[in-house]
Amino acid sequence: MSPQADPAPEGDAGVVERRKKSKKPKYSRFTQQELPACKPLLTPTIVISTFSLIGILFIPIGLTSLSASDIVVEIVYRYDTECIPQQSQNDKLAFIQSSETNKICSTTLTVPKNMKAPVYIYYELDNFYQNHRRYVKSRNDKQLRSKAYEQETTNCAPEATTANGSPIVPCGLIAWSLFNDTYSFAIQNKVIEVNKKNIAWQSDKNNKFGSDVYPKNFQQGGLIGGAKLNESIPLSEQEDLIVWMRTAALPQFRKLYGRIETDLAANEQISVTIENNYNTYSFEGEKKLVLSTTSWIGGKNDFLGVAYLAVGSLCLFLALAFIVLYLLKPRTLGDPSYLSWNKNPDGHQ
Amino acid sequence: MISILSTTPISPVSPVTNVVPLSLVLLVSLIKEAFEDWKRFQNDIAINSTPVDVLQGENWETVSWRKLQVGDIIRVKQDEFFPADLLFLASTNPDGVCYIETANLDGETNLKIRKALERTWDYVFPEKASEFKGEIQCEQPNNSLYTFTGNLIVENQTLPLSPNQILLRGCSLRNTVHIVGAVIFTGHETKVMMNSMSVPSKRSTLERKLDKLILTLFGGLFFMCLIGAIGSGVFINRKYYYLGLFEDVEQQFNPSNRFVVSILTMFTLITLYSTIIPISLYVSIEMIKFIQCAQFINKDLRMYHAETNTPALARTSNLNEELGQVEYIFSDKTGTLTRNLMEFFKCSIGGVSYGVGITEIERGQAQREGRALNEIQKSDTVVYEKGFNFDDDRIMRGAWRNERDPEIFKEFFRCLALCHTVLPEGDESPEKIVYQAASPDEAALVTAAKHFGFFFYRRTPTTVQLRESHVEKMGNIQDVSYEILNVLEFNSTRKRQSVVCRYPNGRLVLYCKGADNVIYERLAGTNQDIKRLTREHLEQFGSSGLRTLCLAYRDLTIDTYENWNEKFVQAKSSLRDREKKLDEVAEMIEKDLILIGSTAIEDKLQEGVPDCIDTLSRAGIKIWVLTGDKMETAINIAYACNLINNDMKQLIITSETDAIREAEEKGDPVEISRVIRDSVSHDLKRCLEEAQQDLHIFGQKLALVIDGKCLMYALDPSFRVDLLKLSLNCSSVVCCRVSPLQKAQVTSLVKKGARRITLSIGDGANDVSMIQAAHVGVGISGLEGMQAVMASDFAIAQFRFLKDLLLVHGRWSYIRLCKVITYFFYKNLTFTLTQFWFTFHTGFSGQRFYDDWFQSLYNVIFTALPVIILGLFDKDVSASLAKKYPQLYKEGIRNTYFKWAVVGVWAFFAFYQSLIFYYFTTTASENGHNSSGKIFGLWDVSTMAFTCVVITVNLRLLMACNSITRWHHLSISGSILAWFVFIFIYSGVMTPNDRQENVYFTIYVLMSTFYFYLTLLLVPIVALFGDFLYLGLQRWFFPYNYQIVQEIHRDEVDSISRTEFLEIGNHLTPDEARSYAIAQLPREKSKHTGFAFDSPGYESFFASQAGVYVPQKAWDVARRASVRSSKRTSQR
Repeated sequence: MSPQADPAPEGDAGVVERRKKSKKPKYSRFTQQELPACKPLLTPTIVISTFSLIGILFIPIGLTSLSASDIVVEIVYRYDTECIPQQSQNDKLAFIQSSETNKICSTTLTVPKNMKAPVYIYYELDNFYQNHRRYVKSRNDKQLRSKAYEQETTNCAPEATTANGSPIVPCGLIAWSLFNDTYSFAIQNKVIEVNKKNIAWQSDKNNKFGSDVYPKNFQQGGLIGGAKLNESIPLSEQEDLIVWMRTAALPQFRKLYGRIETDLAANEQISVTIENNYNTYSFEGEKKLVLSTTSWIGGKNDFLGVAYLAVGSLCLFLALAFIVLYLLKPRTLGDPSYLSWNKNPDGHQ
Repeated sequence: MISILSTTPISPVSPVTNVVPLSLVLLVSLIKEAFEDWKRFQNDIAINSTPVDVLQGENWETVSWRKLQVGDIIRVKQDEFFPADLLFLASTNPDGVCYIETANLDGETNLKIRKALERTWDYVFPEKASEFKGEIQCEQPNNSLYTFTGNLIVENQTLPLSPNQILLRGCSLRNTVHIVGAVIFTGHETKVMMNSMSVPSKRSTLERKLDKLILTLFGGLFFMCLIGAIGSGVFINRKYYYLGLFEDVEQQFNPSNRFVVSILTMFTLITLYSTIIPISLYVSIEMIKFIQCAQFINKDLRMYHAETNTPALARTSNLNEELGQVEYIFSDKTGTLTRNLMEFFKCSIGGVSYGVGITEIERGQAQREGRALNEIQKSDTVVYEKGFNFDDDRIMRGAWRNERDPEIFKEFFRCLALCHTVLPEGDESPEKIVYQAASPDEAALVTAAKHFGFFFYRRTPTTVQLRESHVEKMGNIQDVSYEILNVLEFNSTRKRQSVVCRYPNGRLVLYCKGADNVIYERLAGTNQDIKRLTREHLEQFGSSGLRTLCLAYRDLTIDTYENWNEKFVQAKSSLRDREKKLDEVAEMIEKDLILIGSTAIEDKLQEGVPDCIDTLSRAGIKIWVLTGDKMETAINIAYACNLINNDMKQLIITSETDAIREAEEKGDPVEISRVIRDSVSHDLKRCLEEAQQDLHIFGQKLALVIDGKCLMYALDPSFRVDLLKLSLNCSSVVCCRVSPLQKAQVTSLVKKGARRITLSIGDGANDVSMIQAAHVGVGISGLEGMQAVMASDFAIAQFRFLKDLLLVHGRWSYIRLCKVITYFFYKNLTFTLTQFWFTFHTGFSGQRFYDDWFQSLYNVIFTALPVIILGLFDKDVSASLAKKYPQLYKEGIRNTYFKWAVVGVWAFFAFYQSLIFYYFTTTASENGHNSSGKIFGLWDVSTMAFTCVVITVNLRLLMACNSITRWHHLSISGSILAWFVFIFIYSGVMTPNDRQENVYFTIYVLMSTFYFYLTLLLVPIVALFGDFLYLGLQRWFFPYNYQIVQEIHRDEVDSISRTEFLEIGNHLTPDEARSYAIAQLPREKSKHTGFAFDSPGYESFFASQAGVYVPQKAWDVARRASVRSSKRTSQR
């Protein structure tokens, strides 16, 4: 209708030029925003069925996990206080720091249930911030990996070099503070072998710690942080160090010490000899010895099972609650009377 | 800044963590800016290369606009635009006159006359023009459109220049073959450009709110850092000997200076928690908006106007979501609401209404009342011409002879054909003749007469010649010459126009046309029937939005005429108060009139305007019309567009009152302003009182009509509050005779005073200031004139496309961006909070929980794409539903989706989820995790946690979607997959580079345990459990409107096929019709009769305000033109 109403401005040559070709946009589902789509609506039915589904799925998983965790037998023994002789109780720090004192202590643990081999031996430390920023970065992965990088001690301060400047291998605070309590076990005076092989993750052993890197200048300084290393064994074989150097996420952590490869029968008495060398006293950290079997889920860990069970039952409960609600006060879908302008013609502010 | 911090040793993260995302973000925004600049550049080129003829030596040479220089002599042809401000030298018209259309500048539709100085008239042809030597002294470039002072010095003669000789850029030449002018100002110095302020860069309200959110996040960041810093100061202690805190430890860990430790840790933590600030948010938003503009708005077929071949154009991508929150629309009238096209539509003759057309508004009314209109199929022989859209078999093609009283038809047609100031031009045949009228109304009336068989083909200074058909008998054609004795011209006080003419047979008749109330006052006491019927028709026409005029005549005896003519001649020659005396004399003869009937002219609305306005107002948008037109016209259009109807109470504040007029006649400016001021203040108070009363007691809807002069005073700071209060109470506001500046002032009054989001829409240069002042400026494109479009943020071809632009694109953009922003907020908060919880367990040392690369790629890879997909494709309801339920738009006006409450809910769930992530993954990881009894380290746990975060955050997005396309699936699964691919590779290889091999092999270690799978199932579900419950409950108990609409239409497949697409009509569904009916209230009897008539050449309102330029009277225009045409005819 309007073409004759608006005469084209002939003068505007550019416009005329452009008018020759149509500027009509091409149709595509994309530009017209008509892509096929599913439109999920969170209807009561879906809500109820989702909750039920989660409930039905989670409760069995929870039960399975709990039972798996239940098979695991665990003995936890805290020894940091008990391994200090009576006379030194008031000054534990002096006791542990002295090189004179006899740090051997013994105790007896009772096996509560049959423990099938392998029984894992852990030590558990508390209040030990292996995840402290200063601590975490105080290592040098290159140095650990290959002999070629022996001189590489970046990040390792203050345990980077000896007083005369030669590099410490392995350098850094983590290695320096290596845990050095030792445990030995005996049943009825018969020593139980503790297998200390294969306690670290294979990937660490193979790739992160070089087989040609040998400890050097380690723990030679004035202050001794922890264990010493046998300088004739390459780092890749020093599994205690490798375990220790996989720093823990939380200030309370367990680390694998070794394995007992014999079954322990219920009510057996295990005599444990602990060499209590490691200083956790200056920062009031607890030390625990843990003996534990494993199942497919790992060690004793009720958390996952309980969480699954709790969430599952909560969902079932909610599903029920919604069903009841739905029966009592049904919410009709798409009832126009819910529209705000139908509820209140003026609109609500 | 954080990137710089991260390069210092106190940083817990390597610099790469912060630098990588930042540089990516910067790169993307650079590319986007460059692209937009490029487009703008091309646009400029197109305009600047328009050709124009410049005098070179003795020839015209064509150069492009950009090459014009001050002092050039150029030639502009008919219908061309002036490329610069010109001094008018000569025209092809005799006596150095040219006609220009200023619609682009001030929106006025009547042509203006410019007259060159006599001295320069000869320079029409290049030979002469090349001789022209002169000097122009003029004022500095300024922005006043109606003033100009300067001198032209030719041969030592100083000639003063007035605005009358200036042709402004933006105007176009009409009815003149070509003119010659000298360039005075070019480019940015032209008055139009000086008027268009530098385009203010607009930022959307949402983005400004977003800034507040970001500030809050910074606050949160600071707070978290403060906690961490205090903690670190307290924690640090030499007792942790394994940390090697010896005497010479660096400052950050020196226990003997805890204060410094805290300060330094503060910085450490700032870099660590910097992920809380979503830097990629801005760039994501820009990308989303850019695609929304370029792909969706610009390519929307619903907004493509085929007739002008114009698609919609988003000129800025900053304001998409602003379109979803508009509450006030300020619209220009001419060219925007109307087509500037007057059509003879209906008439009432002798008490019978003729004309079968149906106006848009009638159609709308009928639909609302649910009755069907039997639209008569127009007969094939229907004539259609510009200005004539009428068909009725009873009177067309001479059929009127068979009507009851053919004589009155003759009077009617002759009145149309004689009583006007139109000039015929061109060939004297009905097909080829062109009527030059100062107002399109007049042209329409004369055209109508032509089609009725009374063809006006020639005007001489004293006669009007008609070619009359069917007068004596059917098919008989004869030329009749009527002598025009007197013309009593139109002005806004008289509101009527008369001619006294003598028939060839000596009959003396006065024909008069004018406003109904004016004519009715002067009717003879006879024939009440016709009067009553005609009045009814007038009311009908008026409420249908038609512009009406009453037609009447009076037979004069020679004596009466002679007597009167003496007085008339006297009055005409009097020197003082001529106008007033002429009016008085006219009064003496314009009485005892006999009513013939009335005409109804449709001020043709743009297509779909009433429907669009109706939809928009149901969407809660208030529409104000700001026009330079007269009050009657404006009110009329408001009726025609459904803005005002008879249910509304009209509050009128006008300067056309007797008191003001009286004061104006005295001419003392101080007095005038005092009187107007008082009356405005009084009116405002009165209206406000009435408004309060009516609105609150009777609940009646109000409409405010105010004119420019009053507005000038009402915008005064002392009244501004009252004005605002009053206008916000009104459902529609009409401001007439407003200047461009006032348009902008009104816009910013609402923008700043009411703090609502405003949109201005207009098509001409006079709307530029308003377009720039509003939050969103929309220009009408596709017609001549680019100023409005150039100043606008969006350009559309038709007013009705606003419906799509606002209700569909605006609404979607708003909802999408709200989702994007809140989602970004959520995902970064969740991520950072897990980090924060970890800080508590690391002795507040600022150890990072995640690997550097996890952290830096989190925002740019693992969670980047899905949210952009959401920002592009999320669709709560389809486009047709969004238009069907315009009320959904109100959610945007109320900003429902980006309130602090909404953000709070997201924050709460971010908090909840981060706790789940952190505590579930760490607590569950304490023991050995497979039968090998080996223990996880920090990096295993963090990889686990990160996996959970990535999966959950991506799934949460899926829950936020209303429609899920395959792009969603693709991007979400892609993101999760990207994470796994990344971690498989990243933790699988050793690089020789100096890198902490923290995460080496972690994922493989993890995947060898059941713990991994159990946690992976548990944590995301528990984390999303809260959100799911919340969403379920929310929909169940407090559903949003859109959710209900979704449910109503849940079974409908959204399959708008291509064919359906092309015929998107405004058809109402039965549902809608019913809702219309519900909204229907008992109606008052119509009172509006719809008089409106553009007085030919009423003084340019603004000019008279400026008090400088008084243009010629209309009659002078016609007279001169008639002289010209007579000359031409005689030449032939």
